[in-house]
Amino acid sequence: MQQIEKVPVTVLTGFLGAGKTTLLNRILTENHGKRYAVIVNEFGEEGIDNDLVVDADEEVFEMNNGCICCTVRGDLIRILSGLMKRADQLDAIIVETTGLADPAPVAQTFFVDQDVADRTKLDAIVSIADAVHLDQQLGEHHEAEEQIAFADIVLLNKTDLVKGDNLEGVQSRIRKINPYAKIIKTAHCETPLDQVLGLDAFSLDRVLEIEPDFLESDHDHEHDDDVTSLSFVSETPLDLDKFQEWFGKLLQTCGQDILRSKGILDFAGIDDRYVFQGVHMLMDASPMGAWPEDKERSSRIVFIGRNLDSMNLQEGFDACKAA
Amino acid sequence: MQSGVTTESISEVAKRLNIPETEFERRGVRLQLGLPITCAATVDEAVAVGFGDGSIRVFRPGLAPTVTQAHAGVILCMIADRDGLLTGGDDGRFLRFSLDGTITELANFGSKWVDCVASNHSFYACSSGPNAYLWSKDQSEPQIFEHLSTVGGLAFGPKGHRFAVAHYGGVTLRERVKRRWKSSTFAWKGFHGAVTFSPDEKYLVTAMQENALHGWRLRDKGNLAMAGYPAKIKSFTWVGDTPHLATSGADEAICWPFDGKFGPMERSPVCLAKNKKQIATYVEALAGEQAVFVGFQDGAVMLAEVDESKGAIAIRGSTGAEVTAIVVSNSRSHILIGDAEGNVLWAPLWARDYHARDV
Repeated sequence: MQQIEKVPVTVLTGFLGAGKTTLLNRILTENHGKRYAVIVNEFGEEGIDNDLVVDADEEVFEMNNGCICCTVRGDLIRILSGLMKRADQLDAIIVETTGLADPAPVAQTFFVDQDVADRTKLDAIVSIADAVHLDQQLGEHHEAEEQIAFADIVLLNKTDLVKGDNLEGVQSRIRKINPYAKIIKTAHCETPLDQVLGLDAFSLDRVLEIEPDFLESDHDHEHDDDVTSLSFVSETPLDLDKFQEWFGKLLQTCGQDILRSKGILDFAGIDDRYVFQGVHMLMDASPMGAWPEDKERSSRIVFIGRNLDSMNLQEGFDACKAA
Repeated sequence: MQSGVTTESISEVAKRLNIPETEFERRGVRLQLGLPITCAATVDEAVAVGFGDGSIRVFRPGLAPTVTQAHAGVILCMIADRDGLLTGGDDGRFLRFSLDGTITELANFGSKWVDCVASNHSFYACSSGPNAYLWSKDQSEPQIFEHLSTVGGLAFGPKGHRFAVAHYGGVTLRERVKRRWKSSTFAWKGFHGAVTFSPDEKYLVTAMQENALHGWRLRDKGNLAMAGYPAKIKSFTWVGDTPHLATSGADEAICWPFDGKFGPMERSPVCLAKNKKQIATYVEALAGEQAVFVGFQDGAVMLAEVDESKGAIAIRGSTGAEVTAIVVSNSRSHILIGDAEGNVLWAPLWARDYHARDV
């Protein structure tokens, strides 16, 4: 069988008024020579009229597979499979979610549904934040925090309307929730589209780009923000069996609270680097070739989520070190 | 309008894939249309095929296929109705299509897709989003049934007075009692897609979002869980006198027996046309016989009798694209096979037609 090129899907989140429609209009109307389909929500902002726009209902379904918090976007499964029947090839698909929707079921759809996973791939989660109002939204809606926490890219929009050094404050607030997301500052979503589309942020290759600098020192996390991130490093190789037992149990019991996790692992007795990335309790993992000769072998692991302090992550991780 | 398809591309297909021709391929016509085939249906001796660009091609024995642009986008569903077809598309249109190419718009849902269609002798129906629209054949305005989630499948019972709508959480069954629809719910967690009644109308079966079928006995709403499939069940068909419900979703056609008091409960299915490497994606009964056509994800199609001791016959070799349509014409003279990349085999079903029907 021929290998089918998978169509990349970008998830676009952000509160009403942050600028999602501005960006979507640019994606649909700019002369970029690409065919992008956009799946919008019926409760979204003013209508965008284009034959490549599909209305969705944000139907979150529980899968009947025994995994209680495994929810998927049922409408997305149907729409993506319909889009794959089109005679013309799409270059990318963009899924808009409303500000109050949890982005997790969208991401999980790509892990859980085989047909979706066979034909499309999750490219990146892009969160558009209103630089003027983000601070207030973070205080009022836990969804705002989640959108920042899940994001691979935070498009910090309306920066032209921010006074003085408030912009620094907003950025550091984002960093506190998610130090690993790339922040792009714009005024009217005027960023080159290749900065937000076709990033392949969910490929395991990209996990290798986790900046070691972030991990070398423990972040001082403050408790006023609900969602935080924690990272751990070990120069001692890990024991594969111990790690699998600890990590499996951790995702099973705390998966609801762990929004995203990723890591590069060095297992005792195994030559290859082992890379994983997860959304809640679902994860994708694979050996990713030998360690580069010019780099020290070490294990690095990152969590973004709620109540991370209660999970004894440091102790659990330390206990995985090979004796 | 004649299609612009020529026979040059046909020999090219065979050469490129270097597959020995089957008898059906030798006696039939092979076309490479380069468009995803999404659905097909038969009216008398004709077979209509719907494509991912909104076109419909009609094949008739002895004639060149005709092509009509019906929808602006993907044709998502199609069913034979009276002497024509009903089709729904991602352009939001629900159409009646006559085989001569005449199109009548029955409804237009704008940016909402028309996902499912069903028909019997006195009603026809379509779904768009969470709503099912039901027309009595003498009325122009539909009755609208709302559901809590998107509709996954529609079916009329063979007896004509039951209408099933599958959705998240189960099936809503409506029964015609004294000119009104009386509704009842058959609940089962998860999303339910395509739905079908057993020919004796004692059972209701759905294909789920998970790799499983779910069934209910209508009499007492007794549940039947048919699981263990390695892939999603994209297609099912009732075969033979028992009858068996033949299903795709495994590397062979899994056929569940629906005879006796308890149907397939506590019984093993009959497994046909084992392929070992490829997953079956489409199954279609050969009407009047105890046999089923099984199409696989590489484009190959086998014909198997419902008897595990007998081998299957190769109907079409591999094309590299999953089988998305198999239809035998109502007159049982021809078979049409289509796949996701537009490879079509249109062949006489019986050897005696070899010279009689030249296409």
